[in-house]
Amino acid sequence: MRKYLAALICGFGAGVLQIVPFVKSFSCCMILPLAAFISLLLDQRATRNFEKIPMKKALLFGLFTGLFAALFGSVFELLITFITKNNDVIASFTDLQRIVQNLPLSEEIKKEVLGIFQSVREDILKSGFSILYTFSVILNNFIVNSIFGSVGGLVGAQIINSRLSNQSNGR
Amino acid sequence: MKRSYSLVLFFLLLFWCLGIFSEWLIKIDEHFVFALPFLQKTYSLVCHQEKNKLLFFDGVGTLACARCTGIYLGLLVSSLLVLFKLPKIKFRINILLAAALPMIIDVLLGSLKIYTYSKLLAFSTGLFLGSIGFFYLYAGLNNLILELKR
Repeated sequence: MRKYLAALICGFGAGVLQIVPFVKSFSCCMILPLAAFISLLLDQRATRNFEKIPMKKALLFGLFTGLFAALFGSVFELLITFITKNNDVIASFTDLQRIVQNLPLSEEIKKEVLGIFQSVREDILKSGFSILYTFSVILNNFIVNSIFGSVGGLVGAQIINSRLSNQSNGR
Repeated sequence: MKRSYSLVLFFLLLFWCLGIFSEWLIKIDEHFVFALPFLQKTYSLVCHQEKNKLLFFDGVGTLACARCTGIYLGLLVSSLLVLFKLPKIKFRINILLAAALPMIIDVLLGSLKIYTYSKLLAFSTGLFLGSIGFFYLYAGLNNLILELKR
């Protein structure tokens, strides 16, 4: 676990940035790749190993950063939903209704889709918990964050290694 | 990298980009509407999805902002290019920084309200960064494959 402490710290940061209201509005596709990149830099400093980073290590660091971000992001999001009985599904429900109504869909499909999301909305408003919502949050967070983290790890290692070769060429 | 790996990468990026335009896909098959709220949640993890920054055509919007859509389409375009020919340039960090610079300047000037946000500018700076950034990802994957083969 200590080996991936840098990934844990950066994953926590990225997970929080993804769910905290207001801060969330600054979120962008660069957060997780940046977190993975910073975790590689932090690890280099902690271990005082400034040699080229093997790609396998970079991938693992990126993956773990993503997984930790997914873990903290999911826990916080579900906890906030449970406590406040409110979340983005409830906030965007009227938008979803408008989008679905404007789409060229059959009345049957419109009714079915809105019925599913109405039941999720009611569950959250009543108890702060919905199985479908929980499943969607966990699945989304773990898949997307681990992919973006891994990409960040690979690109980050390329950048760090390229900088190292520039330095050694300059000497 | 083997062409088959490049092809897999291209299709993964294609699926990701198609997801951004899923509201259009509903016009092709209405069953896509069931995936829409789930996909909105997916893209909300990697984009702020501010309504005034989404791309709208024919009353239907993207699930990611103009800049993020540009970045992903840039990645897709470059992944298509490497299927045919890999550029022989050595991608040093300076090139990535230079590619990121227009986007950083646009974000800064836009945030400081020096000029008003332009979707076209956001999209083009994102597209530029995405298309260059892909080669770093590609090189990283290539090195990973070589390392695993050793």
